[in-house]
Amino acid sequence: MSRTRDAAPDSDGSDPLISVDDIEVHFEKERGLLELFDEPDIVHAVDGVSVDIGENDVLALVGESGCGKTTLGKTIIGLQEPTEGSISYRGRDIWETKAGNTDLSFDDIRSSLQIIHQDPGSSLNPNRRIVETLSEPIRLTHPNISAGERRTRIYSLLERVGMTPAHDFASRYPHQLSGGEKQRVALARALLMNPDVILADEAISALDVSLRVEMMDLMLDLQEEFNTSFVFISHDLSNARYFAAHGNGRIGVMYLGNLVEVGPPDRLISDPQHPYTEVLRWATPNLSLDASEAGDPPMRKIDIPDPVNPPSGCRFHTRCPEARAVCKREQPELRTLSDDHRAACFRSDPDHRYWESDPIED
Amino acid sequence: MTTTSDRLHRAGDGVSDPILEVKNASVTYDDGDTYVLDDVTFSIERNEILGVVGESGSGKSMLASALLDAIPAPGHLSGEVLYHPDQDTTIDVLEFSDAELNEYRWAEVSMVFQGAMSSFNPTMKVGAHFKDTLKAHDRAVPEGLEFAREILSDLYLDPERVLDSYPHELSGGMQQRALIALSLLLEPEVLVMDEPTAALDLLMQRSILLLLEDIKEKYDVTMVFITHDLPLVASLADRMAVMYAFELVEAGPRDQLIGDSAHPYTRALLNSTPNIDAPLEDMQPIPGKSPAPVNVPTGCSYADRCPLASDTCRQQDPAFEAVREEHTVACHHWERAAEEIGLTFGEAASIDGDAGGDPR
Repeated sequence: MSRTRDAAPDSDGSDPLISVDDIEVHFEKERGLLELFDEPDIVHAVDGVSVDIGENDVLALVGESGCGKTTLGKTIIGLQEPTEGSISYRGRDIWETKAGNTDLSFDDIRSSLQIIHQDPGSSLNPNRRIVETLSEPIRLTHPNISAGERRTRIYSLLERVGMTPAHDFASRYPHQLSGGEKQRVALARALLMNPDVILADEAISALDVSLRVEMMDLMLDLQEEFNTSFVFISHDLSNARYFAAHGNGRIGVMYLGNLVEVGPPDRLISDPQHPYTEVLRWATPNLSLDASEAGDPPMRKIDIPDPVNPPSGCRFHTRCPEARAVCKREQPELRTLSDDHRAACFRSDPDHRYWESDPIED
Repeated sequence: MTTTSDRLHRAGDGVSDPILEVKNASVTYDDGDTYVLDDVTFSIERNEILGVVGESGSGKSMLASALLDAIPAPGHLSGEVLYHPDQDTTIDVLEFSDAELNEYRWAEVSMVFQGAMSSFNPTMKVGAHFKDTLKAHDRAVPEGLEFAREILSDLYLDPERVLDSYPHELSGGMQQRALIALSLLLEPEVLVMDEPTAALDLLMQRSILLLLEDIKEKYDVTMVFITHDLPLVASLADRMAVMYAFELVEAGPRDQLIGDSAHPYTRALLNSTPNIDAPLEDMQPIPGKSPAPVNVPTGCSYADRCPLASDTCRQQDPAFEAVREEHTVACHHWERAAEEIGLTFGEAASIDGDAGGDPR
């Protein structure tokens, strides 16, 4: 199954930073003792996704719980091995490198691709002071750096993420910090390695609404300063829009393991091409008074289907208000609509036989 | 010094038929040194949906617990909580005996806590929770379960499957809906929800909100929806109240509170919210931090972060004033707020001609 490649907007023919080629991540569901000899259930977490990430790029992945956005994110930074397809870093296959088959060391790749987790409370060791937590990665990668130099680096980074006075914060334990401060420490820890890409997995979802813009602004400042790319995962389209628009990036909409629409934030939100993007747009609260009273959702069912048995054809056809018979049988490919706007829906093609097909009745 | 309730009464919050009234409620820890709820007075109109908004640590969960006289020990609740089962009856919730309190909770006022995963017992099937609840309140189990099936299907769940599942076999959204069904089992008059959708993705949050609206119509229940997510509750609530640093700072009908908010904090909160239609450059974080419960400053607790703050604000606690009918605010300078702090989301910035605002 080959898909239209989604190139980074600023790629100039050279190898992109990260290139994901038609990957597939399937998990086997755990089996009980009695089912030991049955065929295992396969969870289709990610299917047929291709995407590139350039230098200083932002890719914001949105979708509901269980759509595979975290699995795709982890695959992009080499934490999850794809069951099919390949993923390369500066032209070298990450998993080949791990096996020792390229000229790059896996440790370099590992430290260039970092992650910030969703819950800052559980990603920091509660028994260690902040300075100890932050020393560990430096000690591991640069064993020759003296304690004094380590400390200087940590302090300057803490100041950079807005935690002043740094020496005061450095000597605290995680429980002495607020949620926003803990997340800043997690960001500082990721930055210690001068990474090329940071995966921010719902990194602002646990923060108060009023703190989210602040945290996103901080990450965007650092994107410019350290030339870091971000893969930003969120279920909130307005956060994704804010982050992607300021970072000159794209939004990617995921549904049940497929990338169904990719595009620049403004176009994707003002002119969504996939019905599922419309659904996400509907779900995003809007403060304008005329728009805040939500109408009925533009979908037929509330619950997402089981990824063990994803629906045939277009996976969204079971909930899609526009679905017709052909959507049940055939899976639409990600089609280019304009330079960097792509959607996987038959409706974007005026000549498709979708238009002659019969609507689905529930 | 006048108490808040007198002031509020004078200002008039537009509640004519309250089902619950909270008067001068304070919750203290450490023998009265630490205030986590500071002299809060408000009423809930029968059959309305009231949205209570505040940051983490603003005391909003304490407010919810106070409505059920369920402040976790060793906290101490003072003030009055009055319950009006009908217009002519007044019951003081804080005077209840244990047995009365047991009947009041769940059957009169029930609560949905945040995090459905920790509200269900993981070793019991969901159906067993429904049976236990019915037995604990001396209700007939078969009829009760019949009613449970009806609510579950109203929430777009398959009743047989859900009742026969362990909590971990359901998705987060299903668990949360099952929990809402459980809280409605004894047909309460008031449903208090503390961040009922916080752990869910936006799509499920919005879907649940829509269902809540239907549930409210069908079962005639008054709802209190407590959250930090202002835009979310704005799509559901009839009336909204904003909390800051353990106090109520503004209350009013939804459209006025969003479109013509009078408190500088409410305006800053609105502007700090990523909004899908707002111009991007206009989203501003609120500078500074909210005060800790031990060092609440004298005067207005928002003064340190407020661009309009003057010496008066630092010395004198602002009284509640009426912005217009039903809309009250505790701020010395609310008349200037609209002018000085423009709201950044499009045409909503001015609800009527004189409201001003600066749509940019």
